[in-house]
Amino acid sequence: MFQRPRNWINQALWKPRNPHSLEHLKFLYGVLAKNAVVTEQNRSLLVETLRSISEILIWGDQNDSSVFDFFLEKNMLLFFLRILRQKTGRYVCVQLLQTLNILFENIQNETSLYYLLSNNHVNSIIVHKFDFSDEEVLAYYISFIKTLSLKLNSHTIHFFYNEHTNDFPLYTEAIKFFNHSESMVRIAVRTLTLNVYKVDDKSMLQFIRAKTAAPYFSNLVWFIGNHILELDNCVKNDADHQSRGRLGDLVAEHLDHLHYLNDILCLNIKDLNDVLTDHLLNRLFIPLYVYSLSHDGTEEVRYQQDGRSRVSPVVSLFLLSQVFLIIQHAPLVNSLADFVFNQGPQGEALEEEQATNSHQDPSSGNPRRFFPPAETLEKSLEASIGRGKKKQKKQPNSRNTEPGEDEQTEYTEGNSTFYKDSGEFPDTGAEDLSLRSVKTSDRSRAPLVGPAHWLMGPIDGQAPSDYTLMYRRSSTESQMQGTSVRRSKPTALPGDTVISSQNITDEEKCSRAAATGVRQTETTTGFKRRYLDAIFDTLDCGNNDYEALFSLCLLYAMGKNEGIREGLMDAVAMPSVHSPTKQHYSSPLLERLLKVLELSTKQVSAVRVATLWLSCTLVKQLVLSRDQCYLQDRHVAYVEGVREAATLLLRMFYKGDEIFLDMFEDEFGKMKEKPLNVEYLTMDPSVLLPPTGTPLTGIEFDKRLPCGEVERARKAMRTFFLLRDLSLSLQLKVEDQLPLTKDSELIKENEKLDLNNSDLIACTVVTEDKQRVRRFLVIDVYQLILVEPDTKKLGWGVARFVGYLQDVEVTADKEDSRALHVQIHKPTSSVSVQASPSSYKPMPLLSAKFIFDDHIRCMAAKQRMTKGRSRARQAKMRLISKLLDMPAAVSPPSPTPPPHRTLQMGAMRMYTAHPSHQDPPPTMRKFGPVPGFAQRRASSQTSPSSRRSASPNKGRSSPKAQNRSLQHETSVEEAREAILAETAEAIPLQDLSKQGRSFPQESEKELSSTNLSPSLRPAKAPPASLLPRQDDDGDRPSYHESVKLTRPADPDRIRSISDTSSRQGRKETRSAEGDRRRSSSDGSGSRIKPTWHHGAHWYTGDTDDGDNGD
Amino acid sequence: MSYAYLFKYIIIGDTGVGKSCLLLQFTDKRFQPVHDLTIGVEFGARMITIDGKQIKLQIWDTAGQESFRSITRSYYRGAAGALLVYDITRRDTFNHLTTWLEDARQHSNSNMVIMLIGNKSDLESRREVKKEEGEAFAREHGLIFMETSAKTAANVEEAFINTAKEIYEKIQEGVFDINNEANGIKIGPQHSPSNPALGGGGGAGGSQPGGGCC
Repeated sequence: MFQRPRNWINQALWKPRNPHSLEHLKFLYGVLAKNAVVTEQNRSLLVETLRSISEILIWGDQNDSSVFDFFLEKNMLLFFLRILRQKTGRYVCVQLLQTLNILFENIQNETSLYYLLSNNHVNSIIVHKFDFSDEEVLAYYISFIKTLSLKLNSHTIHFFYNEHTNDFPLYTEAIKFFNHSESMVRIAVRTLTLNVYKVDDKSMLQFIRAKTAAPYFSNLVWFIGNHILELDNCVKNDADHQSRGRLGDLVAEHLDHLHYLNDILCLNIKDLNDVLTDHLLNRLFIPLYVYSLSHDGTEEVRYQQDGRSRVSPVVSLFLLSQVFLIIQHAPLVNSLADFVFNQGPQGEALEEEQATNSHQDPSSGNPRRFFPPAETLEKSLEASIGRGKKKQKKQPNSRNTEPGEDEQTEYTEGNSTFYKDSGEFPDTGAEDLSLRSVKTSDRSRAPLVGPAHWLMGPIDGQAPSDYTLMYRRSSTESQMQGTSVRRSKPTALPGDTVISSQNITDEEKCSRAAATGVRQTETTTGFKRRYLDAIFDTLDCGNNDYEALFSLCLLYAMGKNEGIREGLMDAVAMPSVHSPTKQHYSSPLLERLLKVLELSTKQVSAVRVATLWLSCTLVKQLVLSRDQCYLQDRHVAYVEGVREAATLLLRMFYKGDEIFLDMFEDEFGKMKEKPLNVEYLTMDPSVLLPPTGTPLTGIEFDKRLPCGEVERARKAMRTFFLLRDLSLSLQLKVEDQLPLTKDSELIKENEKLDLNNSDLIACTVVTEDKQRVRRFLVIDVYQLILVEPDTKKLGWGVARFVGYLQDVEVTADKEDSRALHVQIHKPTSSVSVQASPSSYKPMPLLSAKFIFDDHIRCMAAKQRMTKGRSRARQAKMRLISKLLDMPAAVSPPSPTPPPHRTLQMGAMRMYTAHPSHQDPPPTMRKFGPVPGFAQRRASSQTSPSSRRSASPNKGRSSPKAQNRSLQHETSVEEAREAILAETAEAIPLQDLSKQGRSFPQESEKELSSTNLSPSLRPAKAPPASLLPRQDDDGDRPSYHESVKLTRPADPDRIRSISDTSSRQGRKETRSAEGDRRRSSSDGSGSRIKPTWHHGAHWYTGDTDDGDNGD
Repeated sequence: MSYAYLFKYIIIGDTGVGKSCLLLQFTDKRFQPVHDLTIGVEFGARMITIDGKQIKLQIWDTAGQESFRSITRSYYRGAAGALLVYDITRRDTFNHLTTWLEDARQHSNSNMVIMLIGNKSDLESRREVKKEEGEAFAREHGLIFMETSAKTAANVEEAFINTAKEIYEKIQEGVFDINNEANGIKIGPQHSPSNPALGGGGGAGGSQPGGGCC
């Protein structure tokens, strides 16, 4: 190739045709050589040349190695550098950088890469002083060095890091941009740093640690901290949710920081991690986050004055939750958790004092304070690497030169010595940090038994809290010594304490656990933990749950954190998810959690769904291990009480109308579908602002307070579900009643069914796209099924379509008396329902015309469907009422009460158990099983009823009356007495059967006309007599007896069931139901035979024209 | 060089789908498509005109940085537009779209405009993913869709410019908070006092390295 060296210049003088050839490169070289000086005239030519060079080189790399040889031989990179040094302005500069980018990005051949890097030109380009004020130049430059970093490995690292001169420009130049205002630049820098750390090269990492780690990390930490202050400001000044966008960015930014720190820590470079951990703990997490926990705002002025920043407790809880959710690095999280747990009451004051001392004498210690780094990163880098002699270049980062110039100088020494110390003296530096923290926590474990305030059961005799004493002593010591803020060294402690601390054995644990039986008053032993107490105190949700939500997040995150040493959580009686045993849990904490649960069951409650959810989760985390629940009996009782209250709360909303069932299933579905995710919760800026009720903010329902009655009803449902789930979990029971319909009970599409002896109606189904199919209509308990006969088995059929009966809407065709229009909606839970039901448009699952053989069959089908619908709904409502422990419940719970009666009274009547009556009161059956029926009945019935005469006039002014009754807080007892009195005097029994028969035709009309929304207003609390504990009266008539009167079943049998059941709580009704089903479906062996075909009789009676059962 | 807005884009998708080639093709059209040359770049900028306004596009390729969670997170958040690229000759790159999209949706701001791109449309004979499938995916997830070829430059312009138009429309509608640079949108320097001293040759030159059309 180079045999004729003299000729190539000649060759290069005229442009070869093929742009991808060595000849072309030679030509371009000629151009470069001739235009060594950049001028206005030749700029475009040069740019074009550079572009072509990169193209040829890549082509050569992939096709012809001689191209690269030529490039290297002619040292063409040097031309690049020379062009750069001419300060040619952006145009050429950008193209040059892009050419380099293309070069390094696309070279696949390793040797080509080595050649390119081998002469130090690339490093010269890296340190070249570009005009970084030009964002485009900067972007290309950053991109260039980032591209280079992607090429780093243990071989190529030596081209960038020079061990002898201790020089690593790629890294040191890059980190100067760590806080650049342009986010993409910051990201590129972070990428680069991580790519560098990733390279396994001891001496390079040693350089990073010794020369750059302290300056970089201290600046980084200061940068993060300033974001926090900004975030805090944003929260403080935005009670009206105006700047959620900005807040969202700041929150996301903080998460980015934490993820970045975590990415570094996860690389597991011990030396580096130690320095980073030290800075994070002592310059950010403790002084800015943890100190703020107990910050009540009163001292704010003082803090601001002397530059000790604090954020509001809400923000600090929020941030700490994020920290513990993201970072798992053991030394860091252990020390942080230890500090939060075990810091005594005056810890901070003490440190403040020392901080002040050290203010005067910086070298005496390193106060835990959040203060600006001694100097800009650039300066410290120059100082530490010793390139100070070089002319300082323009500072790209101006942020460092922020407030407190005086402080910067003051701390100069402190800051730099701080780091140096860590290497040399065992008791001050970063390396020792983890060790120290372990010691401290060991020490703190010893006196565990001491502070009875904290532990379930202090061992007798050891109750006097040596920890307190010890702690004070050590504090005094350090105070006297005036040294570091850290707790004094273990050696300064009484030896016995140390020994005992190391000897905590399982036996001891057991004995401690055993001692829990003997309860001591855990109140005032005087020991206080400043921060943990502060966290616990926020759990009071009396006024709002603003802070509580984040305290819960924090405790949850700590319990989940993999990095926190086993035992550290146990030591403060907060067993983590990993704890093998949970025998001792912190009663004060648990009781506070239970209090949150209790508050959430109040009618007016400041506890949001998310808070309740998290509390439940935390309770489980505290006391539940895989196969055992360690909850003490009294706490179990408390939980049960709260669950009872939640049931009562929901009962107030239970009206048996359509929407209740739909919402009930919808809420359950949503809860299961979207379980609480704390990580997502702590990404949501909206929760950082004070809780609000209005959905107009766009905040999700479970993160705000309910707005209006519908949402209150929904919230009551959630509360009920969550507490029910908690209670079952604590009893280690599996939910067997929710969801209301189980998949296993349902018939699936394409399932083969035995239809012998079933009622089938043939029809032609015409779908919306005009397809016609011949099918048989079957109505099952919960489902409408369209069956196609099985070709192989006589009497069998294949289900071609199944839909929930409860979602069926059927209307007659006006023109064709044999046809029906049938629409089946998708189940609500599968549709995302907006908070307001008005905006909820159900999606049809099936929308078709059914054509029958004749009018009679058509009417029969219609009746089956409408009745099937209401029965399916009733059946579910019965299930709900069982869930809600309504003894009256199994009776078709009544539907929307008549509008002209007060809702409250209506509801009461329905739920009353009538303990003193032998016969079931007619109210129970008077309300038809179909929603809306009662309304109709009440206005049309003319049969004598003193009950009705007693109430209607009263209730005519119902809206007002309702409102009044809502506000009027009658006690449950009062209400019950009132009702008992009323029912006792009233209600003749004679018209039972009539009423039983009269409803169905009417009900259909009522279905559509019922106005649902007003009925969602909560009725008065149902009488307490519903509670199982009052069921001791064996003769109490129950639903089953009322059933007995009308349907053909063995009365004795049912009676006996109901008797036992009423004593046992809610389980009973289910078994009774099962029994009833069994007995009622006796005659028909077929599975499809809906059990209620019998039931149909007793409901519909002789007015039933088409549906002739047995 | 003054501009009304600067939009930051990211390009995402499996490795080898031609992200960096698309980028280079768009920012520097003079890289002629040649049979045996694949060439790409990780960053590029170019000026375009929409509605009479100069708009600068800055495109960042995120390739090779997937191993760090913090990095991908931040990239998504800082961008106003994303090109989600798959290779029509490799079914698996299409199958991974859902994962990419989930990531993007989770980390990005909700207004980010995402364009789905089926690249390598020149390799019709090796096609594994039908155009209709791409269209269906885009429709289902509310994305704009286009098939491109970095090699023949087909639709490359359009892909980037249509995305920019969409962002621009969103700005006009007031959906984007343009004062918040975290959204990946920046208002041009002419709105703020610029420092002429630093303009240097850039101001005089007036054309972008790859910006001119050929």
